[in-house]
Amino acid sequence: MLRAGDVTVLAGGTDLMPQTQAGRLRFRPVLMNVRRVPELKGIAEDNGVVRIGALVTITELLDSALVRERLNLLWQACDHFASDQIRNAATIGGNLCNASPAGDTLVPLLALEARVVLAAKPNGTLQIRRVPLAQFLLGPGRSCRGLTELLAAVEVPLPGAGFVGEFYKHGTRPGLDISTISIAAGARRDGAVLRDVRIAFGAVAPTVIRAPRAEAALEGHRADAATLEAAVQAALAEIHPISDVRASDWYRRELIHNMLKRVLTHVCKL
Amino acid sequence: MNEPAKTWSVPDSLIGKRIPKMDAPDKASGRTRYIQDLEIPGALHGKILRSTRVHARILSIDTSAAKALAGVHAVITAADVPWQRPIGVGRDHLPLKADRVLSLRDEIAAVAADSEAIAEAALKLIRVVYEPLPVLATTIAASAPGAPRLHPDRPDNVAMTFDYAQGDLAQGEAESDVVVEDVFRLHYVTHCCMGVSGVIAEFDPSGNLLLYSNTQVPFLHKREFAELLGIDPGRIRIIQPPIGGGFGSKLDIYPFEPIAIFLAGITKRPVKLVFTREEEFIASPTRQPVLLKLRSGCRKDGTLTFRDVETVHDNGAYTSWGATTPFVMMQTISSLYRVPHCKYRTVAVYTNNPYAGSFRGYGNLQATFAVEAHMDKLAEAVGMDGLAFRLKNAQHPGEVTPQGMHFKSCGLKECLTTAAQRSDFLRKQAENRSRWNDPDPVKRGIGMASMLHVGGGAKIYPSDGCGTILKIDDFAHVTLITGASEIGQGSETVLAQLVCEELGLPMTAVTVVNNDTDITPWDVGVHASRTTFIAGNSAIGAARKAKRKILEAAAAKTGNRIDELGLAGGFITASSGEKLFELAKFLRSLHFSDKADLVMTSFYYEPPSRHQDKQFKGDVSAAYAWATQVCEIELDTETGIVRLLKVTGAHDVGRVLNRLGIEGQIEGGIVMGQGYALTEDLRVEAGVIRNPNFRDYKLVTAPEIPEMDISFIETMDGEGPQGAKGVGEAPAICIAAAVANAIHNATGTRITALPFAPENVYRALHGASEPPVWNAA
Amino acid sequence: MSANCDIAFTLNGVKRELSVPAGMSALAMLRERLGLTGTKYGCGEGECGACTILVDGMSVNSCLLFAADCDGRDVVTIEGVVQSEAGERLRSAFVASGAVQCGFCTPGLMVQASHLIEQHPGADEAAIRRGIEGNLCRCTGYRKIVDAIASAAKPDPGQTPFSEGQP
Ligand SMILES: Cc1cc2nc3c(=O)[nH]c(=O)nc-3n(C[C@H](O)[C@H](O)[C@H](O)COP(=O)(O)OP(=O)(O)OC[C@H]3O[C@@H](n4cnc5c(N)ncnc54)[C@H](O)[C@@H]3O)c2cc1C
Ligand code: FES
Ligand code: FES
Repeated sequence: MLRAGDVTVLAGGTDLMPQTQAGRLRFRPVLMNVRRVPELKGIAEDNGVVRIGALVTITELLDSALVRERLNLLWQACDHFASDQIRNAATIGGNLCNASPAGDTLVPLLALEARVVLAAKPNGTLQIRRVPLAQFLLGPGRSCRGLTELLAAVEVPLPGAGFVGEFYKHGTRPGLDISTISIAAGARRDGAVLRDVRIAFGAVAPTVIRAPRAEAALEGHRADAATLEAAVQAALAEIHPISDVRASDWYRRELIHNMLKRVLTHVCKL
Repeated sequence: MNEPAKTWSVPDSLIGKRIPKMDAPDKASGRTRYIQDLEIPGALHGKILRSTRVHARILSIDTSAAKALAGVHAVITAADVPWQRPIGVGRDHLPLKADRVLSLRDEIAAVAADSEAIAEAALKLIRVVYEPLPVLATTIAASAPGAPRLHPDRPDNVAMTFDYAQGDLAQGEAESDVVVEDVFRLHYVTHCCMGVSGVIAEFDPSGNLLLYSNTQVPFLHKREFAELLGIDPGRIRIIQPPIGGGFGSKLDIYPFEPIAIFLAGITKRPVKLVFTREEEFIASPTRQPVLLKLRSGCRKDGTLTFRDVETVHDNGAYTSWGATTPFVMMQTISSLYRVPHCKYRTVAVYTNNPYAGSFRGYGNLQATFAVEAHMDKLAEAVGMDGLAFRLKNAQHPGEVTPQGMHFKSCGLKECLTTAAQRSDFLRKQAENRSRWNDPDPVKRGIGMASMLHVGGGAKIYPSDGCGTILKIDDFAHVTLITGASEIGQGSETVLAQLVCEELGLPMTAVTVVNNDTDITPWDVGVHASRTTFIAGNSAIGAARKAKRKILEAAAAKTGNRIDELGLAGGFITASSGEKLFELAKFLRSLHFSDKADLVMTSFYYEPPSRHQDKQFKGDVSAAYAWATQVCEIELDTETGIVRLLKVTGAHDVGRVLNRLGIEGQIEGGIVMGQGYALTEDLRVEAGVIRNPNFRDYKLVTAPEIPEMDISFIETMDGEGPQGAKGVGEAPAICIAAAVANAIHNATGTRITALPFAPENVYRALHGASEPPVWNAA
Repeated sequence: MSANCDIAFTLNGVKRELSVPAGMSALAMLRERLGLTGTKYGCGEGECGACTILVDGMSVNSCLLFAADCDGRDVVTIEGVVQSEAGERLRSAFVASGAVQCGFCTPGLMVQASHLIEQHPGADEAAIRRGIEGNLCRCTGYRKIVDAIASAAKPDPGQTPFSEGQP
């Protein structure tokens, strides 16, 4: 089935349908419903890596003990994702392929250094490639997925023991809201020193982004107020928010400043 | 109170009980057919082409390609209906615009086709050539010298002005020890009825018009449509299918209705025209946005001295009911509290923006927002607590205000003390203040506001009446035919309940007919919280006539006097309670006796209110409703997010008729007020609505609702049906004002512009916002 | 895109076969092709929940579901929900609690609530509120809807098990 070149892949349809109806998207000649492909389903751990099939829905992620216990950062993002009805339909693969800078699962997945598994069958033989999420996402709605490629799964290395993560999504509602900004941050305490620091943001750049300089400001340092402030300042230099109908760039910066600090305070148990 | 015949408590009374809505089982089963659900055989689907420019001259419209599309039955423009006439409250726009568009919603052409999809495809084929004209995006731009005229007969773009005065303002100022002044800015919000607008129009071969419409004022619309079409109103029949929400949005005629009628007339087919949600956002009315300057004063002892108000209303491109909200605003300014000297002025200025209609609360949310901010500010200035200050100036029962309102019943003081006590207002207020400088970024606040609103109809038209026809069949089943429309608020259940109360029958013995102008007697319409009061009194009148008729017949049979007889539990009873006749059997015997008669009565109730005079003075309502609401919030100073935690409300409702229904009205109103205060914001920029969808226009959702503690103050209004007053609008009115006061209590910052959306609040707290300034031309 | 798809599925317990345009939503199919108007259009964008239906036992927005995607699946609408005993109970709770005003949001809420109760029989106030966060209601302020769902979720005290000796 991956042979056909000109197809539009349909998963949950929660992005596809509005895009089609608004005329922003024309179907390619074949609408490929991938719902019955068993390889695209299931959540399983193997050798320290959790493989999440592309068709796994947000509800299935929420219901998964593995995700809740071992990938809690991702679980928190799912808890802030849309509404029950959407969560029941929306797939993680669709969220990734839609490549929105505000995509909620993308932020923790980026922080957790996930990679996507892309599959194609150009001449009868299955070709698989694995791409780190950071390289997969190219811009709003753009990824490096080829026209004939299917996103088969996302693979998430399990964070080390003691890793604590927190996800923050700004809005007045718990879920049903497009992120104004979102933050996924996590670290492991090694005595007084922070290790494995991961910080990612949503809705402050053309894609979800990591904040390497902010991470560096914390990695291997003692978790105190001054270090946190330095990390927050570093982060502010790494984001490029825009003004739109939901928020101004100024406000987005203020939120990153205030809430990154709050999230890090929780993560570092200050 | 000269109606002693009223009995307040009959043993097995229905009054005050929790009575489920009669239409609820059908609605909860998905069986109710709303206008969107009606399929009329042979109906075509109508769609409207709207302007893509905010202000432009139409140079040409080419409909040829659209007309050529298979499945298209008609494509019309203004040229096809040269006889069309201006519609709406201001009679200032044509259903189909001829040579100029004044706003983005403007209707240019319309299509009738075999399906919606074909109609939509046809719209895309219509070519319009525009010549852009300068956009008047603000009232300042529209008032500037040399601004283009939007309506030829309005040289200064002024749509309406209001001028009201009482007492002597200069004297009031001179007597004041404290004077405060602020400018308030109230934003655009819109009704967001869950059922989008729609209409079905159909002519019969003789040219009689049948309209399926969700109007809240069917009888007034009959007349207007008749005028528009140049036909006798008697040839128009309006059927109102169940409606997916009203809230005032369906009080005026909007172009889509005449357009559907034009299409039906031209195609000689029924035409169904239903909006999309985006269209609903763009082409429905809004709440009136207001810029308001308030100056108020008081003496050292807390007595209010004067109020001076100026407002500028952005009228939008056309005049609908929004422009007339000053009628209500000035009542709050002059009469919510006792103020001897008042001045009130409004100028409504035409712009190229969306236009406002009537919306639950009708200007009162806006006026109360300003007045209640100043009640807190003045109290603080003279060192009184907000409760004592309000009590000192509160109205009493029996008072006639300088504006002429007569408060025959008035529970404002009880509302104030009840809400304050139940919320522990004074203690919490002091505690929150003491935490202003705590390091915790999350603050708590508590704020109070009260309101006054018409509760016994509103004499906006020469008559404010409602008719009822009541018949009882030979099985003692009652059909109540009322002029009053049901828009989801539960009026049909309350009316049935009032009738059952009179006739001693269970709710199952009544059917209500209320949706067909060919059948129902006249009524002004559903607005101004009037239905329970006016239609209720009307239904009681008809029921009492029927009761009298029955008892007279029974008295003739038994030899009793009629005041010795009663109706209870489906029987004609003696004063001892003894059951004399089973009602159904007795009625049958009436039919079959030699003086055969049917029990069928009619009644017309016209309240004892008066039209305002030219100075806006008069007792416009037969009763007035009061309420105090206390809001408790949590405010995160690092995000600007305000959460409404609890609302404690005390409502003078006259009397509780249906407890379930009244709670529902109040809870729904509170949450609508919460949306106005915190989340809803129709973003109009240069005439363009930036967020015509639920994604970015945020209604309150279930997880966000506050805890609600509601008390009813029963003042037993002498004019009200069983003592009740109207409550439909009251609960939405105070919330924004009380939240503003709570934000001040939490932070010490007073924000005078709505909504309190996170970024706005954050900016205000960090000095990064532009507070509203008075810039009336 | 104008191509039609032949689909076969179960609708409220009955097998259906029909041919639908590729771009058609399940909402349009139900309302316009199958006459099931209990499922409402409120926004067409997944934001209001008025169109909620059950597909393979999960609640989804039918406005976001392609009709073609119903193929081979089990679809239940409000008309089906109220046929079940649980649906009947939920309806009684909605009526008795005053959870219905204009009623336009009600079918969607009924379907969502039935799903919620089935998935989380012991759902508390907070879980119920979050469970219906995707359903907008403009009339009621949600309070009585939450109450209705809570009362329907409770085991029915009136239904005592049949004990021996009773007639
Ligand atoms: C009301 C509403 C609320 C929302 N709220 C949120 C939110 O809170 N947070 C959030 O992040 N998103 C939100 N979304 C967006 C959307 O629900 C998510 O992006 C969702 O994960 C998309 O998944 P889907 O399965 O529905 O994708 P689909 O719509 O089926 O597909 C999306 C895109 O990905 C492609 N695609 C899907 N699966 C594959 C695959 N396996 N291989 C290759 N291509 C594929 C499709 O061709 C399409 O281009 C919301 C959407 C709506 C309508
Ligand atoms: S119509 Fe589907 S969610 Fe609103
Ligand atoms: S009852 Fe009217 S929208 Fe919910």
